[in-house]
Amino acid sequence: MMMNVTCNDRDRIFADGTLAEWAALEAHAASCPLCAEEVRAWKSLSIAAKELRDYSDSASLWPRIERALTEEAARTAQRAERKIWFSFLPSFSPVWQTALAGALVLVLAISAGWFVVQRPVRTVDNDQSLLKSSALKEVESAETAYQRAIDKLAVQAKPQLENPATPLLANYHEKLLVLDSAIADLRAQAGMNPSNAQLRYQLLAMYQEKQHTLEEILEAKP
Amino acid sequence: MGTMGLALPWKARISSTLRERGTRVEPSEQFAGDPSPAAAEALSEDAALAAACRSGDLRAYERLYAMHGARMKNLARNVLGNPIDAEDAVQDTFLKVQRSIASFRGQSSFVTWTYRILINTCYDARRSRRRKKEVANDDSGEVPRPELRAPGAHPTLRMALERALEKLTRHQRDVFLLYEVEGFRHAEIAGMLEMTETASKNTLFQAKKNLRLMLEPPRPGRGAADTR
Repeated sequence: MMMNVTCNDRDRIFADGTLAEWAALEAHAASCPLCAEEVRAWKSLSIAAKELRDYSDSASLWPRIERALTEEAARTAQRAERKIWFSFLPSFSPVWQTALAGALVLVLAISAGWFVVQRPVRTVDNDQSLLKSSALKEVESAETAYQRAIDKLAVQAKPQLENPATPLLANYHEKLLVLDSAIADLRAQAGMNPSNAQLRYQLLAMYQEKQHTLEEILEAKP
Repeated sequence: MGTMGLALPWKARISSTLRERGTRVEPSEQFAGDPSPAAAEALSEDAALAAACRSGDLRAYERLYAMHGARMKNLARNVLGNPIDAEDAVQDTFLKVQRSIASFRGQSSFVTWTYRILINTCYDARRSRRRKKEVANDDSGEVPRPELRAPGAHPTLRMALERALEKLTRHQRDVFLLYEVEGFRHAEIAGMLEMTETASKNTLFQAKKNLRLMLEPPRPGRGAADTR
């Protein structure tokens, strides 16, 4: 049985009508001049659209496309070949490659910073080489005591040195003269710069050497 | 655009009895959701074509061209207005398909995806042409039409329709060309233009309503149709 439609249904059927609705509209149009005109015009647009169809063959188009596709495939293959040189990163996307490069730069920056922080600073050494006044007094008193002890040894060795019986003793005598000269020189410098620990160490070394030399002289007593 | 005086040739072609599917007068969407063996076969062929293209087989592209080349060129010509630009657009489309086939995930059919690329390529070409025109200080705003078409039965009607189509919105023009000229279903058009099927139907309705107004004058005593 044919469904009934009215003029009000026309646009809805034009937009999205079913086959049955179209049939009903045409049946209605047979007795409605306005709808008949609208249906005619609507269909005419579809028929007129055929005028825009031209499926004539273009003999040169496919060969042209084929050539372009072949060239593009060759270019792609070349690019892929070049990529082999970077095959250690084949599975990483550009985002990951960028992240990796960033991480590498970060590691290098941290390493450089660590070396800078860990590098020994000379100024700290200089500060350590300067003795504080309390430490200086202790060093000076210890030095004086040490010097007295060495002087006692020198007194004991004096007879042998004044009249050396052997060339060895004569050499010891000369060595002691050199050491005394060096000690006098260092003491003069230490007097001008009493807080300089380096000078104190050198002076101590000289005293130790003099002590050892005097002990050797006393041991060499015939 | 005013009256085109097309009443006679239009009337001459109207058939009141036969509504062949080719005229697209009646809705053809009754078949769209039909999971018939033919539809399944078409889907399988589409997937096979996509797979062959993905593997770089030039014969697959040749098959795509054999199946759709003429229709693609016709669509491009109707969007761009001349066959030279249309052929360039079709070639660009094939190159774009080749370049991006790896990213095709099969969310729509391969052919639908290809037509979507074609349509975008055509509009890119239109924009580029418009920019060049602006640089050349040619503000005529009209698309050049060195028509080299095979002569149709009604060249006057064709030209009138082409001019009227230029005045539609992009979507209205696209839907009209895809549905009425190229014979795609609304479901396919929805995939190509990334809209819903209902939107495609409504857009076609508005397009035809506007074309009707441009091509035929409102008659005295008849309510003027709205032009949105």
